[in-house]
Amino acid sequence: MILCATRGGEESTITQNVAIQLAKETGELLALLYVADSSFLDKTASALLVNVEKELSNMGEFLMSMAADKAERQGVKTTTVVRSGVLRDVLPMVVQELNATTIVLGKPAGDRSRFNAHELDQFVQHLNEVTGAKVILAG
Amino acid sequence: MFFPVSGLSWSGIHHANVLVPHAVGDLGIAAVISSLVFLLVFIAISFQLLHETAAAMLGAAAILLLTYIGGSHNPNLQILSFEQAMNSVDWNVIFLIMGMMSFMAILAETNVFRWMAIRFYHASHGNTWLLTLSLLLLTGVTSALLNDVTVILLLVPLSIQLALAIGIHPYTLVIPEVLISNIGGAGTLIGNPPSTIVGSYIGISFVGYLANMLPIVLACMVAVLIAIRLMYRTEFAPRECESSSALVEKLSRDSDIRNRDTLLKAGVIGLLIIVGFITADQVDMPPGVVAFSGAALLIAWVRPDMSRMIREVDWTTLLFFIALFIVVGGMEETGAIQWLATRIAVIAGENADRAALLTTWVSAFASAIVANIPFTVAALPVAEFLTDMIPGAASSGIIYWALVLGADLGGNATILGSAPNIVAIGLLAQAGYRLSFQRFARDGIIVTVITLMLASIWLLVRY
Repeated sequence: MILCATRGGEESTITQNVAIQLAKETGELLALLYVADSSFLDKTASALLVNVEKELSNMGEFLMSMAADKAERQGVKTTTVVRSGVLRDVLPMVVQELNATTIVLGKPAGDRSRFNAHELDQFVQHLNEVTGAKVILAG
Repeated sequence: MFFPVSGLSWSGIHHANVLVPHAVGDLGIAAVISSLVFLLVFIAISFQLLHETAAAMLGAAAILLLTYIGGSHNPNLQILSFEQAMNSVDWNVIFLIMGMMSFMAILAETNVFRWMAIRFYHASHGNTWLLTLSLLLLTGVTSALLNDVTVILLLVPLSIQLALAIGIHPYTLVIPEVLISNIGGAGTLIGNPPSTIVGSYIGISFVGYLANMLPIVLACMVAVLIAIRLMYRTEFAPRECESSSALVEKLSRDSDIRNRDTLLKAGVIGLLIIVGFITADQVDMPPGVVAFSGAALLIAWVRPDMSRMIREVDWTTLLFFIALFIVVGGMEETGAIQWLATRIAVIAGENADRAALLTTWVSAFASAIVANIPFTVAALPVAEFLTDMIPGAASSGIIYWALVLGADLGGNATILGSAPNIVAIGLLAQAGYRLSFQRFARDGIIVTVITLMLASIWLLVRY
C-alpha cells in the first residue's frame, strides 16, 4: 500500500500527482492521509469555543474525498484516513496500522511548512527506522 | 494607596494647556522598568515569541515581584501593589467576555452556523457573488454580536469547502470574510476586544456605543463590499456552474441543526441579553453583568455538563486580559503613560480634530503591525489624558472613538493585524493554501485605507 500524507490544497497537487502516478504504475492501493493539526492556534489567546479539531477533521474529510475522486478518475483505488494530532506523531502510527510499504510526502515549501529541510531529513530517517517503509519526497 | 506613586513629579506647569513633567529625566526608575516590561510583553506577543497569555502573565508577575522583593530594599522599585494590581483590572471586560464565551460555547454546539451557510449556498443557485455576499453578511453580523475568532473558526473551514465545491479559489471567500469580520466587530461594544476595552473604560452603554459606531461601521461595510465586488470581479463573473454535486452533497450531509431545544433556549436568552444591553443603562448596570447573568441563566436552563462547560470557557483568554491590565496598570501608576501622553499632546496641540486624526491613523498603523489588544489597553490612558487636556475633546469623546476605529480597522492591513487574520491564515494552511503576507496585504491595505478615510470623515463631521 502507498500512503500519501497531504493537506489537499494547491500546494499538495505535486505530491498527490506523484502518489497517484506511483499507484497507477504499481497497481497498489493508495491511502490518502489528512492530519488535523490545531497547533497553529498555540500562540493566540483568542477565545476558542469550538472543537477546532472536529472542524478541521470535517474539512480534511472533504479535501481527502476530492483527492480520492481525482485518483479514482485515473483508475487508482483509494482509501482515505483523517486523524487529529501532529504529523510527526500520527504518520508512523498510520503507516504501521495500514502496513504501508511506501510513503509519499511533499517537500517543504516555505516558512510555514510543517518541516524545514533539515527537520524533514531527520523525520524521513525516523520513519525509515520505525516503519521500514520507503519514503518518496515529491516537489 | 499601599505605595506612594514613584517616578514622575508633576509640576502643574501649563504648556499649551498641557501638564508636563519637569523634564524627561523626571521619569523615575519604576516608570522605566514598567515600560520596559510592557515593551518586552508587547514584543513577545506581536512576534509570537511566547503564547500571549504566558507573555502577559510573566510581565504581571515581574511587576509584582519587583514591587515586593526589589521594593522592600529600594522604594524606587515599588511599581504596583497587589491591591493596586487588582484595581487595574477592568472586571467589567472580564465578566463581559466570560459571559459571551459561555453563551457562544453553547450556541456553537447547535451547528447553526453550518446550517445557515449551507442554506445560503442553496439559495444562491450557483451565483458566486450572491453566495459571497450572503456569507459576508453572516460574518459581519455574527462578528458584531459574538466573538470574532470563534466566528472565523466556524465559518472559514466551511467556506474553504464551499469554494472548492463550486470551483473558485478559497481566497475569494476567506479574505473578504476576515476583512468584514474585523469591520463588523467594531460595530458593537461586544464585537472586538478593542471595542469592549474602550467601551468599558469610558463606561458607555451598549446603545451609546451603537449610536457612535454603528453608522460608520455600516458605511465601511458597504464600501468594502463594493471594493470586494470590484477586486474579485473575475471570480464573480457569471459562468457555467462548476459545482461538484458529490462534494456539495457531502457538505450538506452534516448541516442539520443539532439539538433544536438548545438552539431555541439560546435564542431566547440571546434576545434577553440584547434587551439587557439596551436597557442596562437605565439602572447603571455594566454590560458585564448583563452578559454574565445571561450566561448563568442559559447554563441553568440548558443544563450542560458543568465540567465540560467550565473547560469550554477559555480561561487563557481571561488570564491574558487580567495580566495585561496589570502590566499596563504598572505603567499608569508609575506615571510612564502620562509621560508618553504629554509628548503626544504636544504634537497634537490644542486641536481635537488633529488629535483625533493622529490617534486614528497611528492606532491603525500600530494595529497593522503589532497586536491590537495590548496596544489598545496601553493607549487608553493616553487617550484619556488627551481627552482631558484638549479643549472640546471631553464633551464629544472623539479621541476614544478615534482609538476604537484605528485599532479595529487597522487590523485589516496585514495578516498580523488581528487574531481573526492569524487564525484564518492557519486554517487556509491546513487546507494546503499558503496565504502570503503580500497577498493578504494586497487586499487588506486597500480596504484599510478606504475604511480609515471614511472613519476620518466620520470623526470630523460627527464630532
